[in-house]
Amino acid sequence: MPASDIPAPAIELSQVVKTFKSAAGEFTVLKGVNLVLLEHEFVSIVGKSGSGKSTLLNMITGIDHPTSGEVCVGGTEIYRLNESQRALWRGRTVGIVFQFFQLLPMLTLLENTMLPMDYCQVYAPGERPKRAQDLLALVGLQDQAHKLPAAVSTGQQQSAAIARALATDPPIIVADEPTGNLDSRSADVIIQLFDQLAGQGKTIAMVTHDASLTERTRRNIIIVDGELVDETVGRALPLLNDRQMLQVTRLIQRQTFQPGAAILSEGQAVDTFYMIDSGQVEIVLKARRGGELVVARLGPGEFFGEVELVYGGDSVASARAGANGPAILATLSHRAFLQLLSDSPLTGDAIGKIVQARLAENRAADRRRR
Amino acid sequence: MLAMRPRWRKVLADLWENKARSLLVIVSIAVGVFSVGMIAGAYVIISHDMGASYASANPANIEMRTAPFSDELLAALEQVEGVEAAEGRCFTSVRVRTGPDSWTSLNLVSVADYRESQINLLVPLEGAAEPGRREVLLERNGLEKIGAAVGDVLEFELPDGTVRSMPVTGIVLDQSSNAGDFLASPLAYVSFDTLVWLHQPETYNRLYVTVSSDSNDEAYIRQVADAVNDRLERSRCQVYRTHVNKTNEHPLQSTVQAILGVLGALGVLIVLLSSSLIANTLSALLSQHQRHIGVMKLVGGRTFQIFGMYIVLILVYGMIALLIAIPLGGQAAYALAQLIADQMNFNLLGYRIVPLAFLIQTVIALGVPLASGFVPVNNGSRATVLQAVSGYNPGAVQSGWIDRLTSQAAERLTWISRPLLIALRNTFRRKGRLALTLFTLTMGGAIFVAVFNVRSALNNYLDSIGHYFLADVALNFDRPYRRNEIEDVALRIPGVEAIEGWTYASAEVLRPDDTVEVNLQILAPPAGSTLVSPNLLSGRWIEPGDEKVITVSEGMLEHYPDLQPGDTLRLKIAGQEDEWTVVGLFKFVGVQGLVGYASYETISDLLTQPNQAFTYRIVTDQHNYAYQDQMAATIDRHFRDLGYHVSLAEAGSDSLDTAAESLDILITFLLIMALLTATVGSMGLAGTMSMNVLDRTREIGVMRSIGAVDWVVMRTVIIEGLIIGLLSWFMGCIVAVPITSLLSAIIGQTVFATPLDFTYTVTGVAIWLGLVLVLSALASVLPARNAARLTIREVLAYE
Repeated sequence: MPASDIPAPAIELSQVVKTFKSAAGEFTVLKGVNLVLLEHEFVSIVGKSGSGKSTLLNMITGIDHPTSGEVCVGGTEIYRLNESQRALWRGRTVGIVFQFFQLLPMLTLLENTMLPMDYCQVYAPGERPKRAQDLLALVGLQDQAHKLPAAVSTGQQQSAAIARALATDPPIIVADEPTGNLDSRSADVIIQLFDQLAGQGKTIAMVTHDASLTERTRRNIIIVDGELVDETVGRALPLLNDRQMLQVTRLIQRQTFQPGAAILSEGQAVDTFYMIDSGQVEIVLKARRGGELVVARLGPGEFFGEVELVYGGDSVASARAGANGPAILATLSHRAFLQLLSDSPLTGDAIGKIVQARLAENRAADRRRR
Repeated sequence: MLAMRPRWRKVLADLWENKARSLLVIVSIAVGVFSVGMIAGAYVIISHDMGASYASANPANIEMRTAPFSDELLAALEQVEGVEAAEGRCFTSVRVRTGPDSWTSLNLVSVADYRESQINLLVPLEGAAEPGRREVLLERNGLEKIGAAVGDVLEFELPDGTVRSMPVTGIVLDQSSNAGDFLASPLAYVSFDTLVWLHQPETYNRLYVTVSSDSNDEAYIRQVADAVNDRLERSRCQVYRTHVNKTNEHPLQSTVQAILGVLGALGVLIVLLSSSLIANTLSALLSQHQRHIGVMKLVGGRTFQIFGMYIVLILVYGMIALLIAIPLGGQAAYALAQLIADQMNFNLLGYRIVPLAFLIQTVIALGVPLASGFVPVNNGSRATVLQAVSGYNPGAVQSGWIDRLTSQAAERLTWISRPLLIALRNTFRRKGRLALTLFTLTMGGAIFVAVFNVRSALNNYLDSIGHYFLADVALNFDRPYRRNEIEDVALRIPGVEAIEGWTYASAEVLRPDDTVEVNLQILAPPAGSTLVSPNLLSGRWIEPGDEKVITVSEGMLEHYPDLQPGDTLRLKIAGQEDEWTVVGLFKFVGVQGLVGYASYETISDLLTQPNQAFTYRIVTDQHNYAYQDQMAATIDRHFRDLGYHVSLAEAGSDSLDTAAESLDILITFLLIMALLTATVGSMGLAGTMSMNVLDRTREIGVMRSIGAVDWVVMRTVIIEGLIIGLLSWFMGCIVAVPITSLLSAIIGQTVFATPLDFTYTVTGVAIWLGLVLVLSALASVLPARNAARLTIREVLAYE
């Protein structure tokens, strides 16, 4: 991919810590979070109640201050702005959608949609009603524009909130449980809208704890007790519970292999579990007649090394970085891997099935290489 | 609709959609603006019109009651240096029939030439402008008392008992002749050539003089008065009493202005109270709008934009209040001025908007809400998005000493129910709001109680003045009669128990250079009289055997600040100058002029009327007013039947009743102001209770979800209102003490020229207790009903 095609970071959080002080003492909600969201990404942020996901959103939207660390959104270090500057910046840069819509009840849907344009002085006053009407049409509310929020359904209210979030044409949309208060049909409409917007180039960060929604986003960030779960771990081992994922996140190490570089050699003793973060890994068997046979090409979120770790013995195949680019791998020690399997029977079962399948594939490959 | 930007649409919606709250704020601003506008308008109108109307009659700068004098002397007086013009009039005291058996006294004034008259001008109001021969014009002020109209024929009883009938041919206004004298008899006007028919000599007994130079310089006027006095004395014409007046200042102008000043101070207080109510309401509004503010900030609204929206909202509240208060205040100002003008007998120059009142109202209507709303709006609009959206407010519920106290009480006093405890604790949760509400209601109550106290102090004062008029019937003759003769006749009338013959004299207090410092009216009861019970400030009362000894009212201290019992004053009585020893100072109504008491024996000797008296004080066997009135009529008829020349027989308390009537107006106005403050106070309470209910919507939902029925929810709210009411009552009773003291001092000084004694009466306290409980309950019922109406679903979904 040419360098110019690589999307630039839309949101960057660096070592962000947020500590709340109360009569009961200090409580750290975000513990040194590092996060980069690229332009045009549609990202879901999931976590249990109290995990810190809303605080994380507040950091991104400039609603709250980090105790330490840096937040850079759309190239602006937002905590260097004062409250008023940040309000204007927010109005122009970030569209926010809430679970409870937060429409002003005394204004019609059209007026609610026009409000950010009014505050941020974007679009000429004469153009604003038309733009608001267009946005309402985009979310299917062209016929409801002059109704008060209380006069339309909750799904329509949320659609209107999205129209309002788009009013100033911000490059970033942040949604906090946007479907949490909606029936499944309305929720589906909202997610389709987000999908469409992401397709049009918006960066969308959506907090949710609905697992079905995370499947529809292109990235899924899991937050547990104020820390982010490594996304590779989340993708590779989705059946771990949150704490186990976090534990694995803390244990993994990252290794980068240049294109074609060997990761494992056939017959080599294996003591590491490999999860692919980015790039491609080729699993290769030596052909009897010489040469080699590529039995599998594994991509991000897939893993290897598990067969040897489960059954013992040396590597049954070689593994190398794909030719198209470097492969970045997250690795876990043999001991930690076995502990993981014992702690998470579901993961153990799933990996057991994968091992069986891969062994079957190896046997078939063996026959082929003869 | 779309022409308006959404943020201004929101302002409009905030104004329109919560009508009760908007109304509360608007009315609380309007009440203050109205009262200040009314008082300021009346003050300006009175200040201008009272003087202008008075001056338009070209009032006499010098008024002298004299022995009869003729045109020749009048012509000579016009030559005295400093005299611009001099006019003589003849005052004849008669009685006019007001019913088959009822008469009232009246002064018939005859003017030599109405058309040429230049002083104390009459303004024709209805009918003829001057009386023809054997016709009479009535002065407006006496119409009600006499009950006559143009065309009626009135019967007048002359001093010699003759009855004459004359038709009323016109109504006139005389702003000058009785100005400032509440106790004066009504006036009627006849032509000079009617005098003979009325058995009166064609001479003058009243001299009116205007001065040629500065007619508003009192020192100069007194100087001319001294010169006129000298000229009269040289002609052996005795002067009984002298009054000096400035041309452009009504004699009661400063009194009226001082009273309007007191009312104005109350108006300012109402503004202050309403401002605390506004602050409270706006603070609650901002707190309820925290989420809206958060949303607005989220979509790009900056602090100054949000601040601007709420400031505009406040200005709109102020503008609406102004639109209500300006016309109402203007009308009320004129009505108040008209009422005062009617009482004081002068004309207003017509209805008008007073620019100063308009300006003050505008400044108050816009400035006070802005000032009181600034802090809540500033704080509210500065709220961070996080606070606003999350409702994060760690200070909202605190565990203070009240909670500890109520918890301890609950442990010991098991009869205190939990709902009552909740109400008790709720009362003290929003301490700032509670403080503002208590302040408003306390001040309202304190003023209410203070007005009752002042009313009581005024009545006590009148009672104490009544001690100088202890007789049941006052009987005056128009010539002196021997005392033992009158006593014999009177004691034969059934019901008469005792009688005392009094005499009186006019005295001039002389300065070392023989000019007159001040006139003094000397009353002379027999030494040892039981019909005077003086309120002595220092020294002693007149005792038998006293000669050239006098007691004087405290007003004399204005002229002689160091005057003490034992000091002497040089008095000129019946043309004789002598040193008199002051043996005592007593409290008396200052504005009725200076009064002194001396022994009958000394004064009757001076007047060369030993054992004779003009006036008699009679004690009857019953002392209620109806009996006194009836006895006055009986005694009057009895003496007239025997051929005595009775000029007046009236119940002893008549004069005091007239004085009390005029005070009633003042009390009424004070009560109106007190009720206005109480209204603002109870509006404050209603607002607070509504806000409290709104704040606790979620808690009410929880209460409901665990079984609280409507009545329990309502009771909690109403009890909270009653606790606030009771607290304010208690504090109001305490704050009433200094307010009473201040009001008593100001009103006493302006009305009686002496501070009133501090009085604290339970009447006001008890009425206010009842009123505040009713107001508190009423103020809480609506919020309580709203609270009880909320369903659990609504409440727990309340966002």
